[in-house]
Amino acid sequence: MTGRNPIPPIERIGARTTLQKLLSRFHFGITLFAVALSGLTILLAGVTALRGYADRNMELAAQLGAYGVEPALVFNDAQAAREGLEPLTRIPGIARLRVLNDVGRPLTQWTSPAADPAPLLTRIFFARPFAVTVRRNGSVIGTIEVWGDSSTLIDYVRIGLLAGLGCLLITAFGTIFLARRFEYELVKPLNEIATVAHDVRLHRRFDKRVQSLGIAELDRLGGDINALLDELQGWQGHMESERAMLAHRASHDTLTAMPNRDAFDEQLSLRIQSAGDRGGRFALLFIDADNFKAANDNFGHAAGDAVLVALSARIKETLRKGDFAARIGGDEFIVIIDPLDGETRAEELANRIRTSVAEPVLLPGGETYRAAVSVGVALFPDNGSDATALLTAADAAMYADKMTNRSR
Amino acid sequence: MAVQAAGQTIVEDGAGGMTRAVNRMVGGIVSYARWPDGSSATTRVMCLVGTPRLSDRMTPDVPGPGSVAVRRMNAAAVTPDCDILFLGRMPVADRRQLIAWVRGRPVLTITDDDAACIYGAMFCLNNKAGSLSFSVNIDAIGRGPLRIDPRVLRIGGGGGGV
Repeated sequence: MTGRNPIPPIERIGARTTLQKLLSRFHFGITLFAVALSGLTILLAGVTALRGYADRNMELAAQLGAYGVEPALVFNDAQAAREGLEPLTRIPGIARLRVLNDVGRPLTQWTSPAADPAPLLTRIFFARPFAVTVRRNGSVIGTIEVWGDSSTLIDYVRIGLLAGLGCLLITAFGTIFLARRFEYELVKPLNEIATVAHDVRLHRRFDKRVQSLGIAELDRLGGDINALLDELQGWQGHMESERAMLAHRASHDTLTAMPNRDAFDEQLSLRIQSAGDRGGRFALLFIDADNFKAANDNFGHAAGDAVLVALSARIKETLRKGDFAARIGGDEFIVIIDPLDGETRAEELANRIRTSVAEPVLLPGGETYRAAVSVGVALFPDNGSDATALLTAADAAMYADKMTNRSR
Repeated sequence: MAVQAAGQTIVEDGAGGMTRAVNRMVGGIVSYARWPDGSSATTRVMCLVGTPRLSDRMTPDVPGPGSVAVRRMNAAAVTPDCDILFLGRMPVADRRQLIAWVRGRPVLTITDDDAACIYGAMFCLNNKAGSLSFSVNIDAIGRGPLRIDPRVLRIGGGGGGV
């Protein structure tokens, strides 16, 4: 045991949902709940009210029946009683009728031919018949009984459920619409933030910024992200310039600002590669200052440096576009003339450099100095097809030139 | 002449069955008649003329308050005191004279000697196949100031009104 508690890895949730889906589900849930609640309330209230109406309906039917069968009871006439009940049989919601005479013996009765749609509901709501006493001039001559059934209730419940279903449908559509609105209002700004963050992370686009957003909290988040991006961009810029400076420093000579030996080696191998590929030619000029040591000794190191800077400037002036010059040693320069076409002669270029360099240089002490250089030319692929061979050939040619100059 | 077919009243078996049925039917008819002068609670005078065919013991049984006092008399003795005229078997001339006398007066006429109900009485009792029924002569009722509950007319109509 090391005594260190390893940080448990953050558990990733397997299936992720989108904000839109979440909102949609949430909306649907709430709306469903509201619809169900109100629907249930209305249904219950409706059933209660309807039950009241059904009771009243049966009571009225019983009264009507009592009026209709009264003479039938007086004359003890079963046929007339049936006729008296006739109007009642056309009233919906009545299951059974019975007329009793004054001693409680049934005179006539009628049962609806229609089957009870829900016997359970009938048992619950219409367990007992409505009984109305039939009187003639104040004395009881009989009783009429009316049993209700659930047909009217069932109709209401059916319509209620249908309406509920319709409401649910509307709810579903409404929810989709609301979710769309929410997506537009909420998810879109969030997506914008996410896109910017993604772009910055993946493509290093530190110039990207979150647009101003309509929702205060998200706008604040966007503002913070923008501020963070500002800082990141600052750091990034600083780092890049630092890196460029370091790279320049690594590949350039600090005095003359010309590419150094390392940069030249790299450049040379590139040129060999490219010329080899296309079957072209180029020239390598090895330039060495004559008697530079003497100048250094006679006028001092500051003058020597001034001569070197002047030399490098003169050499650069003679270059064409695409040519390359480097300072590879104390007073040694290299020029790559690339491409070397048929008309351009390497020797002419060497002479141009000699002429350009020969112009007097004004030294810091006020004196003038006339520099001279030895130039050796090597051609690719004539004098060598690799860097070492070319350099050796150029070096040898330069040395030969130096010897010639000395003997002059 | 609009004569309605009869309703059917159940007649109990036994000696007094028919008498009870007749008294109940006559009482019922009386209870559904409205005289222009007053309430149903008063005692109505029933003048019995001729010989009743269905029952000799006429004591109409009116449901609720109100009652019927029966007086037997001959056709000549009929006075305006009579609220109800029960016409038993009698000579045709007497019957015609009585019907003519009733016209325009608030007098209820009931007979048990006119099965077809064509001789001008308002209500005609009829014993047929062991059951008692009555018919209504709408024209006779229409001639007088007496008002009859339409429900009774319907029963007397035997389904004719449906």
